[in-house]
Amino acid sequence: MGEEELHQLIRGCIKQDRKCQKMLYKAFYGFSMGICLRYAGNRDEAAEVMNQGFFKVFTHIEKFDQSRPFKAWLGKIMMNASIDFYRANLKMAYTEDLDNAEHVTDGELVDKNLNYEDLIKMVQQLPQAYRTVFNLFAIEGYSHEEIGEMLNINPGTSKSNLHKARHKLKQMILNADAGRKGGNYNSGANYNTSIVAIRTIDMNGVFLNKGIRE
Amino acid sequence: MSIEKDKDLDDLFRKKLEDPVDPVGYNEADWDALEEMLGKRSKRGIVYWLPVLGSVAALLLLFFGYLVLRHPASVVKPGNGQQAVIPSKSDTITKNSATNQQAIVKPKTDTILPPASVNKPAGQGAKPLILAGSVAVIPKNSKSGGNYVPGATPNAGNRTSVATAAQAPVVKDGVSSRSDEVLVAYSPVSSLQEQLIFNAQVKAANRQGLIAAVHGANPANTSGSNKVKIKAKTGFQPRYAISILAAPDINGVGSFQQSKVGTNEGLLFSVGVSKKLTFSTGAIYSVKPYITPFEDYHTPYHFPVSPINVTADCRMLDIPLNVGYQVYSKHQNTLSLGTGLSSYIMLHESYKFNYAGGSIYATGPTSYTVPNSNKYFFGVLNLNATFQHQVNSKVGFSVQPYMKLPLTNIGYSQVRLQTTGVAIGINWNLNSSSKP
Repeated sequence: MGEEELHQLIRGCIKQDRKCQKMLYKAFYGFSMGICLRYAGNRDEAAEVMNQGFFKVFTHIEKFDQSRPFKAWLGKIMMNASIDFYRANLKMAYTEDLDNAEHVTDGELVDKNLNYEDLIKMVQQLPQAYRTVFNLFAIEGYSHEEIGEMLNINPGTSKSNLHKARHKLKQMILNADAGRKGGNYNSGANYNTSIVAIRTIDMNGVFLNKGIRE
Repeated sequence: MSIEKDKDLDDLFRKKLEDPVDPVGYNEADWDALEEMLGKRSKRGIVYWLPVLGSVAALLLLFFGYLVLRHPASVVKPGNGQQAVIPSKSDTITKNSATNQQAIVKPKTDTILPPASVNKPAGQGAKPLILAGSVAVIPKNSKSGGNYVPGATPNAGNRTSVATAAQAPVVKDGVSSRSDEVLVAYSPVSSLQEQLIFNAQVKAANRQGLIAAVHGANPANTSGSNKVKIKAKTGFQPRYAISILAAPDINGVGSFQQSKVGTNEGLLFSVGVSKKLTFSTGAIYSVKPYITPFEDYHTPYHFPVSPINVTADCRMLDIPLNVGYQVYSKHQNTLSLGTGLSSYIMLHESYKFNYAGGSIYATGPTSYTVPNSNKYFFGVLNLNATFQHQVNSKVGFSVQPYMKLPLTNIGYSQVRLQTTGVAIGINWNLNSSSKP
């Protein structure tokens, strides 16, 4: 989309022209969803957050300084909408204690075969608190102090959550790699700990039954 | 994990997630959801001016009420006989007197000036503009009604001097040298239609304040008194009152079968515009907990497992705009029936989801706090009956059973929240002269 066309759309949006709003929405749908998907747990949640973001865009578009890049402004709004959503669901965001987590060996983490789909699913698997900090630190580039202010948490908590997020992501990558080698992992996108757990339980059941029979 | 490995991990995710090569496909349903949100806002925009209009109406009501209240106070009360106040139209005073015809006005000080002290300088003529006739002293800034002390008995044959307003026969009182007093002489005959004629006698008693006793009222004076009487009969003083109230109430969705007890505290301001009709508005802080079956809880969020019910904690500011009609009044007791609309301004809104078999965290969210609470203008219908007992002219007590019925869906969860309760209040009449 050319600059002139974009500004024309923005002018239309300022006038609350619904057609212009829809055109702008469609034009930046992929970009906005890309951001929200990183912060959200699934696609539906991401769409909800993105719509909250676009709602803010359309209701405050007259405040946008047209001399500045629109994409950066929109991206910031989407990020803020995601943070708002995180805050609103704070009680839902559980944290896990990693003390009992199995030790992860330092292997070759950068698996070149992992694509966008694989990675976004891994990020979405993270608990919300870890995911939000990981996004803000690793992808957006904020410092722990800044993240602490944004999320109303201590910088120490931010560091801790980042550490736990990295730990879990590393586990996921290694598991994905192992799964692929073992032939159980098709596209790298179906990483699911709960399925693994169910299989483990089933196996135990079989073993116990065998024990009784014998 | 080493720092370098951490960085590698971060880089891996940043490069691939920062700018997705294959963006997510557009979904028309998402736009529909947003359009609905935008539509809701524009609908709210239509009613947005309503509270503004209500406020303007309330201010106008106050303003006109004030005017009505203020007006009777500036008119001579017949029978009082101690104060003579000129109606607002009159900027000048005429007077007939036999000898030392004078009218003395003291604008700021409240003492009576002896007639001679004014007459002398006038007579010695500080200025010839004042002919040998009536002299009146009026304040420079007097608009309506300063206090006037007319001279003695009338004398029809007396000569009077004439000075029109345009001629501005204004002379400073040289003797008293009070800058705020001027002397004006004019004829009562020439300005009869616009001015009131006072025949009065100064009671030089030791009164403080500018006091004149009105004696032997002439026709003009009598008519003035009648006018006042008529006003007193027909004029209605709006009654203003402030009430502090507290109310326990029960809240339920759809019905009161599963209800919870809430509390309300607030301040109401009311204006009685006629003997029977009263308008009231104010602000009430309400805590409204309620429980609703999950079927009545509307949310775009997709719950993995549906909760059995939802417990809500809503705190809001209830701004009612009610009208009450008095149906019974005896002694100090009155009974009124009222109705009106309430606007809810949400201050806090949180929901707790209760699942079957206790709280199973893994199956879904346990609670949700709404980040940006909304406002619901005139979304609730008020119905009430007020029993009021007046202790004295100032203070009264009231008991008000009420019911609040939803006209629109309220809250993030869009529930039909209804409330019933009994408010207990203490009322203060702001205008004490008015009867309760």
